[in-house]
Amino acid sequence: MAHSAPATFPATATFPVQERAAAAAIPWELWASACGVAFIVTGLIWDISWHMTIGRDTFWTPAHICIQLGGILAAWTSAYLIFSTTFGSNAAAQAASIKVWGFRGPTGAFLACWGGTVMLTSAPFDNWWHNSFGLDVEILSPPHVVLGQGILGVSIGTLLMIVARRNRAEGLARERLTRLIFLVGGLMISLHTILLEELLEPAAMHSAGFYRVLCLGVPCILVALAVASDYRWGATVIASIYMSVRLAQLWILPLFAADPKLGPVYTRVTHMVPMSFPLLLIGPALVIDFFVNRMEKRNKWLEAAVLGPAYLVALLAVQWPFGDFMISPLARNWFFGMNYFGYFMRPQDYHFVWQFEPAATRGLFWLGLLIALTTATLSTRIGLALGGMLRRLRR
Amino acid sequence: MRRLLLLLPLALLSVAAPCSAHVGSPDVYFQGQAGPYPITVTVRTPGVIPGIAVIEVRAADPGVQRIHAVPLYILGPGSKYPPVPDLLMRSKDDPQFFSGHMWLMSSGSWQIQLYADGPRGSGATSVPVPAAARGTLPMPRALAALLVALMILIVVALISIFGAARREGSLEPGQAPSAKNLRGARTAMGVTAAVLMLALAGGNLWWDQTASAHSRRMIYSAPALRVSLQPDSTLQLHVGDSKWHSSRPDAVNADLTPDHGYLMHLFLIRTPGLDRFYHLHPRQVAGPDFVDDLPSLPAGHYQVFADIVRSSGFPDTMVSEIDLPDVSGKPLAGDDSETVAPPLSNVAGTSASETFPDGYRMVWERDASPLVANRLVLLRYRLEARDGEPAADVEPFLGMAGHMEIVRSDRSVFAHIHPDGTVSMAALSMAEQSLNSGEALPAASAASQPPSPMAMSMSMSGSGSPLPATVTFPYGFPKPGAYRLFVQMRHSGRIVTGVFDCDVQ
Repeated sequence: MAHSAPATFPATATFPVQERAAAAAIPWELWASACGVAFIVTGLIWDISWHMTIGRDTFWTPAHICIQLGGILAAWTSAYLIFSTTFGSNAAAQAASIKVWGFRGPTGAFLACWGGTVMLTSAPFDNWWHNSFGLDVEILSPPHVVLGQGILGVSIGTLLMIVARRNRAEGLARERLTRLIFLVGGLMISLHTILLEELLEPAAMHSAGFYRVLCLGVPCILVALAVASDYRWGATVIASIYMSVRLAQLWILPLFAADPKLGPVYTRVTHMVPMSFPLLLIGPALVIDFFVNRMEKRNKWLEAAVLGPAYLVALLAVQWPFGDFMISPLARNWFFGMNYFGYFMRPQDYHFVWQFEPAATRGLFWLGLLIALTTATLSTRIGLALGGMLRRLRR
Repeated sequence: MRRLLLLLPLALLSVAAPCSAHVGSPDVYFQGQAGPYPITVTVRTPGVIPGIAVIEVRAADPGVQRIHAVPLYILGPGSKYPPVPDLLMRSKDDPQFFSGHMWLMSSGSWQIQLYADGPRGSGATSVPVPAAARGTLPMPRALAALLVALMILIVVALISIFGAARREGSLEPGQAPSAKNLRGARTAMGVTAAVLMLALAGGNLWWDQTASAHSRRMIYSAPALRVSLQPDSTLQLHVGDSKWHSSRPDAVNADLTPDHGYLMHLFLIRTPGLDRFYHLHPRQVAGPDFVDDLPSLPAGHYQVFADIVRSSGFPDTMVSEIDLPDVSGKPLAGDDSETVAPPLSNVAGTSASETFPDGYRMVWERDASPLVANRLVLLRYRLEARDGEPAADVEPFLGMAGHMEIVRSDRSVFAHIHPDGTVSMAALSMAEQSLNSGEALPAASAASQPPSPMAMSMSMSGSGSPLPATVTFPYGFPKPGAYRLFVQMRHSGRIVTGVFDCDVQ
């Protein structure tokens, strides 16, 4: 995994100590964009908890403000980068930019701006959807998917900005930027799983559909960033960050008192209701890191043919028995969170959460797993390709 | 995103759907007592559910300082835990006027509990509110144009970004793109465009399906009512199945409950003149089947309205039509009633009184101000004896001081209301029981309740004490037009039906 430093950037060793420290500092634009993504993830988790606890939803809830602020922070930072590069006199920045419609800036900045525009577009669309079909009752609605695409644009744009910068950096700066890549990667896994939350309940952990869903985007992101990061345990670190985010919300949100502000109230709620316990992605991530490190020189299709099945097997190995535990009374506590229910949950329906979904026929189950296997293989192959592209990204 | 492109013509369409509890008259009007404080209430129900209702309360007592409101189901598990009550906003210009917003998150039989605080302590009342989605809103043309423009911008921008990224993204700073980079950029833009087109087509399909599924699941429709005349002059009525109702077993429920003594109130109104009016009470013979022994009535085309109330308190008004020959039926008996009036089109302007064959007269007490659509008005009627004095022999009719049926000339509006308002009496009774049980009350606000006007009427019915000669109905006409009002009272065992016409602006 060798990297050639750009000719325009002098070697780290030629700087005095203070200049070296300054050169190693992460530019504020990258921090601001990463903070934007963190705001979006925080806002989304807060918003879902708000829906389960308080219920009353307007455009101006704190959670929505947090999401929009995140988008605006990342998009405006990117817009600033584009305008300052286009109309400024920083030759180095202009040399490290791409040109779109006459404007110059980093690739990621354009994508983040695009994501911010899509997020803003989703706002009037979502408002009309509410007026036409009723206030939010589901995560996966067309305007929410548009919002999701915008968030995806902001996140990937932020990631590309960091990756491009890191690929041109050396030494301490490179290390720090790699850590920032892990942070954004963990947040991206969080975003992805939030969007699919309705399909990833513990009750689904013994169904093929659960594994099909988790073979879509997760292996692609983990593999791509493991390859791009050049770090031995890249996927594992990213999965750990995802799990930390989810554990933090699980353990912190219930500390805040709250009451439902609309009915019908079926379950009495006295505190913020968190999202569920994280998926144990650290297991499959370890497997990804193991094979990515050992198969770097191999044919990428062969590598995907090993990585995909290995990811699925590892996922099954951890989530299947963990599903048994999660639906058991042992998980109904603050640590695992299986005793938390939104105000709209009827007590007579609790058992649906504590039991597995009806089993499909044996044939359908294995067919589902076969689809999951194929999906995982293709997803990891795409991840390998994206990882290679990320490693080559300079602007 | 063909869907967006189709939105412009779609925006010209409007969706009309029947609503529960009356026809074309979805808002709730109510007058009652919150403890010692008389209040009138208007609840403007949302067109979609989940949605936000607007509540307006006028307190007759200027001493009322605060009113809290909380929505919850009338019956079932959803009535057990009230959400946090909202403090209604007191108008600065009119301190006796309070308003606020109520979130109704699912269809069903709701109540809004109101808690008033003033110098005479606290008092509470409950207003039944049937919630049901009436339709979906078309997208405004300006919004559709904005979204289409943004969609084009977003698509073209993404194609351009991917092209530029492929052309220059992997080049070292300062390096010029090669011919290979340029070719790669064109390929990337083509592939991106193709993928986006596929994504938009898939998104459009998904949007169609989601919107259609929402509409099917959400929008209320009254059960179909099949009406037929039998050779023995009986009218057979069959209440059809309704998936909307059966899919909401807790919130709506399919079983029926009597509303002031009857499972069904049937109204036959001859069209187009609305010149014959019959208020009948079919008997249930089996499940969804009812029969009624028709009185003698002349041939014509009749509009049929049938009111029923579910055991959750959720009311339905079913609509049908039937052509009837001259029917030689049985004499009217019990609480059945009829009236004859000139055709609506032959009556100019607003009528103010009607004299009955027995010499009694019904007078509409109204000032000169015009009737305006969607504005709460107290429709007040006085029954006078032959000597012109207020009648001293007024009795409860179906447990109340009076009934009113409101019909718009084109029959797009029908409402069967009472002195308590537009609410179903069965639902009101259930809501009052829920309130008095204290189960759903915030502890601090649980106050002893005075008997409702309906309860008073019922007790008066039992005691035989005469009722006041004047009866008031709170109502808001839902849209402008010509209306005919049938006002029904009883005196000395005789039901009288006054017919009044009015124009609403």
